[in-house]
Amino acid sequence: MSALRANLRRDMEIHQYPVLVYTLVPLAALVLQAWLPRMLGRYTFFDLPLVVTVYFALGRRSPIQGTLTGAAMGLFEDALSHHAIGVNGLAKTVAGFLAASVGIRIDVENITIRLMLNFLLSLVASAIYVSVYRVLLGLELEWSWYNELFMAIGNSLVALVMFPLLDRLQIRD
Amino acid sequence: MDSFFIRYRNLVVLLVVLLAQIIGLAVQVRRVHTGSNSIDPQDGQGVRLIRLWANSLVSPPERLIHSSKLGTNSLWQNYLDLRHVREENHDLQKTIDRLRLEQAALLEDARQGQRLQALLGFQQKYIYKTVAAQAIGTSGSEQSHVFYLDKGSADGLARDMAVITPEGIVGKVRDVFPHSAQVLAINDQTSGAGVILESTRIRGILRGNAVGELQVVGILADQRIKAGEKVLTAGGDQIFPRGLPVGEVEKVVRDPDRDAFIDIFIKPAARLDQLDEVLVITSTQSSFSPEQQQDLATSQELKGPEAEAIKEQRKASQIMAERLPGLTDPNAPAANQGGVPATAPATQAGQAPATPAVVPQLPKVLPPQHPDRFTPGSAPVSAPDAIPDSATDAIPDSATDAKPKPKVKATISAPGSAGAKPSPKTQTNTTKPAKPPENP
Repeated sequence: MSALRANLRRDMEIHQYPVLVYTLVPLAALVLQAWLPRMLGRYTFFDLPLVVTVYFALGRRSPIQGTLTGAAMGLFEDALSHHAIGVNGLAKTVAGFLAASVGIRIDVENITIRLMLNFLLSLVASAIYVSVYRVLLGLELEWSWYNELFMAIGNSLVALVMFPLLDRLQIRD
Repeated sequence: MDSFFIRYRNLVVLLVVLLAQIIGLAVQVRRVHTGSNSIDPQDGQGVRLIRLWANSLVSPPERLIHSSKLGTNSLWQNYLDLRHVREENHDLQKTIDRLRLEQAALLEDARQGQRLQALLGFQQKYIYKTVAAQAIGTSGSEQSHVFYLDKGSADGLARDMAVITPEGIVGKVRDVFPHSAQVLAINDQTSGAGVILESTRIRGILRGNAVGELQVVGILADQRIKAGEKVLTAGGDQIFPRGLPVGEVEKVVRDPDRDAFIDIFIKPAARLDQLDEVLVITSTQSSFSPEQQQDLATSQELKGPEAEAIKEQRKASQIMAERLPGLTDPNAPAANQGGVPATAPATQAGQAPATPAVVPQLPKVLPPQHPDRFTPGSAPVSAPDAIPDSATDAIPDSATDAKPKPKVKATISAPGSAGAKPSPKTQTNTTKPAKPPENP
């Protein structure tokens, strides 16, 4: 259990990145998310904007930044779809906030924790998406939880590869 | 008070951001007259602006990736293609030759059909003009099956234009930007297209489901619907012209909510998940386009006399067959009659004839060695009582009634005609009323 708890040093440690990383990585995630389905067809079981949101929220350990990053990514995704703008925004806002809030309390460098966080936050984001769509907006939407489960697994696997790569971009003292 | 905001600033920011988005959503959704909620199909100015910004930001990198991918692929593909280009060219030439012959043969039927349609006041819309475009990106969301084209309003694209590929329909233009356009694919949940099953003539509304499969829902259970049946556009939705291929029936399942209804799963003709080049129908007219007319004229010029000869030959064969009913055993398997295989693909209704130039061969009549009074051409019997009762009983029904068996006619009909016109069975089926389509 102690391995899961962040120590004092980690509590204070906030990852810093060059400004270009803050702008280009989310943009690259959005572009790839829009482009890769053309190559992979219906096997696009990942959500890169969500993975990037979780990564920056965990690294920055600031719920406000996590909230804003999630909102921006979600709204951008909504704008590319034909659905109402804000459904994904709400889901990713909450996901970013939760990731940052969790990042303050536990060791986010641990691979297992990263995997589990991505898996759980993917499902949370999906649940918020479908709730907003059906309950808040009162719209009809067919939903497949199997798809969302695959998506959550896919996000965890992508995070497994992407997080160490992005870690290399951070500014170190 | 200040300390409260400072202490709970994270939560306050979260609530403010959530509230702003909820208000934004409320603006976009409206209650329709049926009592249910709906997203406004016409985006408001603000929403449209956000979509335009997002598109402007994502489109350039997508174009760059797409063009670089095309460049790399083309180098390799060009080399591979050149290796077989001679054989392919030869095959294509043969195909064009065959299609020209087919086109010339069917032209007269088409003209007759047009005249009849004009009499009935029905105006068939033909694809008049298309714009070729490349699919450069998608929404990236599983819940939104839309994709983006590299052409926009500057190229003549507008909302609600049909998007197709040579294989089948793909979707319709949902939103247009100056240099790109958003296309709603037919496998999206909010999409809808009027379709008709080719042989059973049952109509329905095509839509997508949660996992992007195509479905025709809410059809009254019908035993005639089988897997493999072709599905075409019905033409009543004002988007897709009539008769475009949609796909084929993959499976039929019982509607889980309503016992008397079935859901038909459709395998799309176009590869919806890996689209590259598409055609946007920018104009439909009640006449053929100049290019099509030129093509028809060329076909008629090159192959008209040949097609006419085939038609005449076919007519002569039919007349001969009607006059010689006894030459074909109606009880024999169809494959043995007249030399035309009953299972020939071209005889199936709706399918393009594989070899329209083939004329069925009639069996040759051998001269009788010992002619009697039943031999064609011999003197007729003067009085019925001249024949003994036993002899009358021995005469088969086929010989006593002079009418030819209809099966003979069906057996020797040319493949081309079977492919162009529905069979009598099909015509009977067309009278069955279809279920009124639901509003998708």
